[in-house]
Amino acid sequence: MQYKENITDKKAEVLLKICSLLMTSGANTSRVLLLLERFSKLMNTDAQVFINHKAFIITLTDEKTQEKTTQLKRLPGHGINFSIMSALSRASMKAKNEAWSFNQIEDEVNRIADLKHYPRIIILLAVSLAGAGFCNLFGGNWLNMIITFFATMGGLFVRQELVKKSFNHYLCALVGAFIASSIAAVALFINANNEPQLAMATSVLFLIPGVPLINSFTDLVDGYIITGTVRFINGLIFVMAIALALFIVMYIFGIHSL
Amino acid sequence: MVIEIIVLEKIFWSGVAAVGFGILFNIPKRIILPVFFLGGLAGFLKFTALANDTGIVLSSLVAASAVGFGSIPFAHKKHTSPFLLSIPSIIPMIPGYFGYKMLLGIMQLAIYNNPETDITTLMSVIHNGLNMMFILLSLSIGVSLPWLIFREKGLRKIKLAGKDDLV
Repeated sequence: MQYKENITDKKAEVLLKICSLLMTSGANTSRVLLLLERFSKLMNTDAQVFINHKAFIITLTDEKTQEKTTQLKRLPGHGINFSIMSALSRASMKAKNEAWSFNQIEDEVNRIADLKHYPRIIILLAVSLAGAGFCNLFGGNWLNMIITFFATMGGLFVRQELVKKSFNHYLCALVGAFIASSIAAVALFINANNEPQLAMATSVLFLIPGVPLINSFTDLVDGYIITGTVRFINGLIFVMAIALALFIVMYIFGIHSL
Repeated sequence: MVIEIIVLEKIFWSGVAAVGFGILFNIPKRIILPVFFLGGLAGFLKFTALANDTGIVLSSLVAASAVGFGSIPFAHKKHTSPFLLSIPSIIPMIPGYFGYKMLLGIMQLAIYNNPETDITTLMSVIHNGLNMMFILLSLSIGVSLPWLIFREKGLRKIKLAGKDDLV
């Protein structure tokens, strides 16, 4: 049997790539569906999709020829990336206004998938400053803020290294929280400050999975109960890892309340 | 005068926290300044509401809805989706502190068996857990309030800049 290259199959592949990019970079479910619908209309197809945290199933029907195809794609690991989301929603509007062809859309999606992150040193500095900001918002003084800055930096650095070696994500969060809170505890022990809890409590806040938690409730409100529940439990396990690390550090250093 | 300086300090650090998390989430360079402003606005409203005894859940709702509406003009100007501006801006208000306080309490209940303090620990677990749930709910409702009220068509009718790239 001779294999004939099928344009509907190719369209389904590109649409699945768009969905997977959106889902892994932190879009909520209604947003994924909105962009999917927009792109599938541009390709003159009708898309029916089943959304899950780890996989997508799509059935695509060509509006002219009524050709059908069904494909499944497993998603890679989640890593929040707002640049990809922004670029995709921009591309969808541009494609609509300038009536792009299928090949143009495919090229643009491939370009977007390779968008770069900020340099590592900038991420480290920015997140550490954010940690210091948290410490200020919780009522810390300058000393607490400086300690939180370095504790956050150490924790994030270790976590990035572990993520690079592709350890379990919850384990990475646990070790990151452990390093960050121990740096805070040691620094405050040496200095004998009266409030060791504050720097410890705020130095682990950078690990809290904010985007999954917010998206989980947005999904629940929109009626996507299963994806919402999955996201919430995923976020809760991260928080559990952080709490476990804090518990161990508090036990070691004899701090009784946070 | 002293109070004003404290308020400005809180606004500044709220903005810094929002931008810091934005950079961790790899937001495009052109929306860093709007995120700073919206994060500062959120911090200002939240701490003002807290100082007036509004309670943390309602304060978060007020701040998040202000961010939800405030992100629309910025999004028109910067040609992006309002969600991309509002999510990093409200990240500093995520109740992470309540979250791990709740789980620490659960661990204490499981490990230490002390009848005298168990009741207080249990009550703090319930308190922190409920606070976390309701703050998250109010944040997500606040951010999507423009969509819930105006729907997509109505949102375009507001027409703050004439661009309809609202995704």
